[in-house]
Amino acid sequence: MFKEEEINNIKAEKEKWVENTSCQKDADTYRLTPSGIKVKNIYTPSDIAELNYLKDLGFPGAYPYTRGVYPTMYRERPWTIRMFSGFSTPEETNARWKMLYEEGETGFSAACDILTTSGFDPDSPGVDAEVEVGTGGVPLYSIKGVEALVEGLPIDKISVALVTEVTATSLSAMYFNVAQKRGVPLTKIAGTTQNDIGTMPLSLMCRDSISPDKLLKLACDLIEFCTAMKQVPKWNPINFTTYNCREGGINAFQEIAIGFSAAIDHIEELLRRGWQIDDFASRLAFHLSADRNFFEEIAKYRAARRIWARLLTERYGAKNSRSVAMKYHVQTAGSSLTAQQPMVNIIRTTIQALEAVLGGCQSLHTNSYDEAICLPAEESVRIAIRTQQVIQEETGIIDTIDPLAGSYYVEWITNEMENRILGYMKEIEAQGGFIKALINGWLYKEMRKAFNERQRSIVEGKERIIGVNCHVIKEEERHVPFKTNPWAADIEKERLRKLREERDNQKIAVLKDKLRRDCEKNKNVMPSVMELTAEGATLGEIANIYREIWGIWELPIAI
Amino acid sequence: MDKKIRVLTVKVGLDGHWRGVTTVSLILKNAGMEVIFGGFQTIENAVNVAVQEDVDVIGLSIHSGAHITWVRKFVEELKKRGLEKEFILVVGGAIPEHDFAMLKQIGAHDVFGPGTLPDKIIQSIQEKVKKKELEIKDV
Repeated sequence: MFKEEEINNIKAEKEKWVENTSCQKDADTYRLTPSGIKVKNIYTPSDIAELNYLKDLGFPGAYPYTRGVYPTMYRERPWTIRMFSGFSTPEETNARWKMLYEEGETGFSAACDILTTSGFDPDSPGVDAEVEVGTGGVPLYSIKGVEALVEGLPIDKISVALVTEVTATSLSAMYFNVAQKRGVPLTKIAGTTQNDIGTMPLSLMCRDSISPDKLLKLACDLIEFCTAMKQVPKWNPINFTTYNCREGGINAFQEIAIGFSAAIDHIEELLRRGWQIDDFASRLAFHLSADRNFFEEIAKYRAARRIWARLLTERYGAKNSRSVAMKYHVQTAGSSLTAQQPMVNIIRTTIQALEAVLGGCQSLHTNSYDEAICLPAEESVRIAIRTQQVIQEETGIIDTIDPLAGSYYVEWITNEMENRILGYMKEIEAQGGFIKALINGWLYKEMRKAFNERQRSIVEGKERIIGVNCHVIKEEERHVPFKTNPWAADIEKERLRKLREERDNQKIAVLKDKLRRDCEKNKNVMPSVMELTAEGATLGEIANIYREIWGIWELPIAI
Repeated sequence: MDKKIRVLTVKVGLDGHWRGVTTVSLILKNAGMEVIFGGFQTIENAVNVAVQEDVDVIGLSIHSGAHITWVRKFVEELKKRGLEKEFILVVGGAIPEHDFAMLKQIGAHDVFGPGTLPDKIIQSIQEKVKKKELEIKDV
């Protein structure tokens, strides 16, 4: 971007400046980012002398999408305010969603309880319904629950994210059936299923899960059904959720590299099935974190878009601009929040929201200040929404697109981030790709190493956490936590009991056999799952068929 | 030399947050304890393992918010088998301070909430095991 002569002049002037001032040489002033990038005290054009504007940055909505995926970005339509929310019962979550909608939320996102995400019914053997139902999210065990969740909500206008992984096929099918029942055709509904196969095995242990290669098969069935077969064309059938791995302590470049490596395994599987890259890549989406280091995170988003565009174009020959543009949701880092002095979390979240916005996200969840303690209460979630609204409406931050572009530091660290992401992708490739690295335990070791290192640096005080290892208050006022409905288990058991009485159990038995055959013959399960869920089959019943046919996977975790 | 303290670390129910329990397991191991990492267990199984492995301490990791119910059920199971005085029961995870007193009343010997420093966990376990051994000697 600069003439060689000018760069040389700048370098010479910088040396003089270092000599003439008390300022130290670069080597003495490095500070490390959480990713281990050495940051200097000051950046000049000489640090980005090789940067080629048109080749490396370009324009928003144009290759290589470094500056954003849409030509108008937030000027035409700000990012979607999408709050991850769910608890107690579908009815109580529905009331919360209505409150969020009235407060200005522009997209819904269902936080599901652990039974829903693991594929168990409240009356499954070995399940303690009393402690699991509705305590970590909304219970959605059958089409009845999903119906109650979206009752009275404008699902024809507003997109809904279903945050579930192992049970992605069944829960999506339930939602699709509910939409059709409400008179909204599948070609019209918009939304996302998380469907991320890394979340359950890697970020959360899932009890009685099928193996990662079978999870990959199911994830690709949903992508194939929605996008390639054009059954639900406006739906994002997958959201590679690197957020969850990131929360486990890995750094920014590992986060993106893991996400892209997972995406590559899905792409390869769909190509193997005979589809062309542009048949499905336009709807591959991501769910990223906004963590503590401000500039590193912004660089991460910009570098990720550039890598994705080049990967899809150069390796896979994608032609459709929608396939090449990397779209993603951001969640501010829950792991950065503290139970101590919880109001400070509002400030942390605000800064992380700014990272997401300056980085060009498509939708955003801001954490509530009480989330290190409990599920968010109404008052705290309102402040979280207001945080996004302040940025959108009061600050002028969204008046111009990618305002940090051209900053010597931001462009430099974007390049650094890009190199590190590519380097870590090679390491995963050397393990045989994402799925193999999961099965052989390598990813667990990487996560554990990262988490333990972070823990050590907190204990040693290298990483400062206000309220925990510095600026501690002796006598803190105790936060009164939000509690979920203690009767949720009874309510949900009763819902299923009634459903099992009303539905055509013979028809369900026939359809279950059809699904068993689909699994055995390796056919796409979605048509059968659509039929089964419409007839009232439960999440647990469908998950049990997968377990029965494919078996249960032992996680390679050790201490 | 003192006998090594034996600890069973375990998660009950379906809550899958695995890193907390593995991190604490490693901390205790590095502090010289013998740690048996139980992974996911039903309460009944967890107690079986604790008996078979002859542990001094059971560490329950709970991030689901349902810690009061789980600890109550766990203590009930111990009582049912007459084992309530057999083990030091400690609980860790996403547990608000608000609930500490209640958990201790139910039967937890100590509770470690978010942000607890490793030394505190190690020290608490060492002290409680020592105290129990002294009590046994007194008898």
